[in-house]
Amino acid sequence: MSRPEPYAPGFFRPRGVAMKGEVRVIKLVLSGWFLAIVGFQLFSYLLEVNYSELLLEDLTFFNLPIQFWLSGQLLPLWFILLCALFNFWMDRHAIQSQEGSLRFRLNPDSGEDD
Amino acid sequence: MGGGTIQLLPLAIVVGMFAVLILSGLRNRKRHATEYGFRGSYAGRIGIGAGIASNWMSAASFLGLAGMFYLKGYFAMSYVVGWTGGYVLLLVLIATQIRRFGKFTAPDFVGFRYESDGARTIAALISIVITVIYCVAQFRGIALMVSWLFNIDYIPAVALGTSLFVSFVVVSGLMGTARNQKLQYFILITTFILPLMFLTRKLGYFWILPQFGYGAAIGELQQQFGVNWSEPFADTTLFQWFALCFTMMFGTAGMPHVLSRFYMTPGIRDARWGVVWGLFFIALIYWSAPAYGVLARLIEARHNIPFNAGGNDAADMIVLSVAGLGGLPPWIVGLLAAGGMSAAFSATAGLLMTGSASFSYDIYPHLIRPGATESDKIYAAKGFFLLLAAIVMVLTFRPWGMIAEIAAFAFAVAGNTIFPAFLLGIWWPRTNATGVICGMLTGLVISISSLLFGSVVPAISTLFPLTSSALIGAPLVMIVMVAASYLSAPPSESVRLFLTRQVHDCPEE
Repeated sequence: MSRPEPYAPGFFRPRGVAMKGEVRVIKLVLSGWFLAIVGFQLFSYLLEVNYSELLLEDLTFFNLPIQFWLSGQLLPLWFILLCALFNFWMDRHAIQSQEGSLRFRLNPDSGEDD
Repeated sequence: MGGGTIQLLPLAIVVGMFAVLILSGLRNRKRHATEYGFRGSYAGRIGIGAGIASNWMSAASFLGLAGMFYLKGYFAMSYVVGWTGGYVLLLVLIATQIRRFGKFTAPDFVGFRYESDGARTIAALISIVITVIYCVAQFRGIALMVSWLFNIDYIPAVALGTSLFVSFVVVSGLMGTARNQKLQYFILITTFILPLMFLTRKLGYFWILPQFGYGAAIGELQQQFGVNWSEPFADTTLFQWFALCFTMMFGTAGMPHVLSRFYMTPGIRDARWGVVWGLFFIALIYWSAPAYGVLARLIEARHNIPFNAGGNDAADMIVLSVAGLGGLPPWIVGLLAAGGMSAAFSATAGLLMTGSASFSYDIYPHLIRPGATESDKIYAAKGFFLLLAAIVMVLTFRPWGMIAEIAAFAFAVAGNTIFPAFLLGIWWPRTNATGVICGMLTGLVISISSLLFGSVVPAISTLFPLTSSALIGAPLVMIVMVAASYLSAPPSESVRLFLTRQVHDCPEE
């Protein structure tokens, strides 16, 4: 008979309101990250396969071919925005959890609350 | 390499820039260094961001990326997306949590989380392997620039470049200089973008924002010369693009010298915002890099120079050669050389210090000399630093690819080994020592599988290319880690409690 395994929180089994919220926001950020990367490439690929003339000559943004603008300019900007949104959420979450719940941190010098 | 004499003015600019860096470091002199070598001043979130960016910028970003754009057009965009998108993974999944472990190196983290000296030693050896591979890319960049500056052949340039690098590190160390990372980033961004603005203006394009101005050059290249440089998937498949892109991302989140930034920052909130600024500073370079590639193609076409006549060496030096071909004065070319040398020197110094810290802190006192004092460890770190530099120099004599390709191999190893170890170590509490050891060893085999088995089973070369193996490799490693962990005993109660209370800040049940 196998002994019961201890239950520790993880990505698929978050525990507590704060961790569940953190995992939810991580999933949202990673969804935005993944969909933008894959979506832009599929868009470029389908344009090239179906309408290569249109893609290469007509679809431009500030003179840049659309695929260069989407992947080379917009995606890094999107990543910066995602990171900033994540930080805003984490900052707000940290203040709320500081105010509303008992802290379990054992090491007060960790810098977490600075 | 060079076809003339010593490039005196560019050489003077390079020497002057290093003098400025050393003098500035002396002003910031602080004697609180540890044997890890990650010292420097942190002044607010922008300062942390500049530190992250200057730590990240290497010959691969400064020289190699433009070379890939020159040769492969849109395919090189997978480096840009991979090297920026990796920071999203790093921020949301790893950066916040690893600081709570209170460890200083990647092997230290692995040893503590998985309660295994064996896992720690393997992680240390992998960190050293990654360091060596990545430094070969940097040394290649240094050698190509030294070859151009002194007008000597590649092999002597490798030896001279290594001597210059070691001398720089020794002099900086003896004088006790601290890296002024904000100044270093300022030098990098200025020396990369200013020459590009001059070049774009000289060619008659929109020079105020050359990041957009190069679009007209793509059009001219196509309409006047019939070169379809911008076609996305003309010579490569969608799979190859994604494989390289995701390998760069997983590798970014697993590179030991990148992770080390987050152990040392004073506050986690500042560290998180530092990532945003760092990503912005890195993106400034990557928004500009494609311009060098397309302008080089255009100038060659205008002068009837055959495409890639100089081979891989010339392609890796395209940032400098396009400035010369475009008729820019030597002092501007010197700025580019100074920026490239600064990027390569600083990246190599950081990497070799990470590698020697892995040896002196994770291997030496555990395997070679138990009971070693702090002083012994510092001596071991210095000796191993020199040994690593010598090994890298020998490997650089016959590099196996272009700068960006060699760097990509290092990212693939990191993405297949360190990244899964950190990701599951933080987010899947059931992972144990057996799992991580099996996973890291599997990751190593996957990383070199195309070399080992590619000729026998061609599908392996297709699925796990040397530069792009982590798209499939990293998930495979995670499956191995999960399976091996389930087949062995779970981690101890103390690790479970640590993850619950310290890392995820959860209430006990």
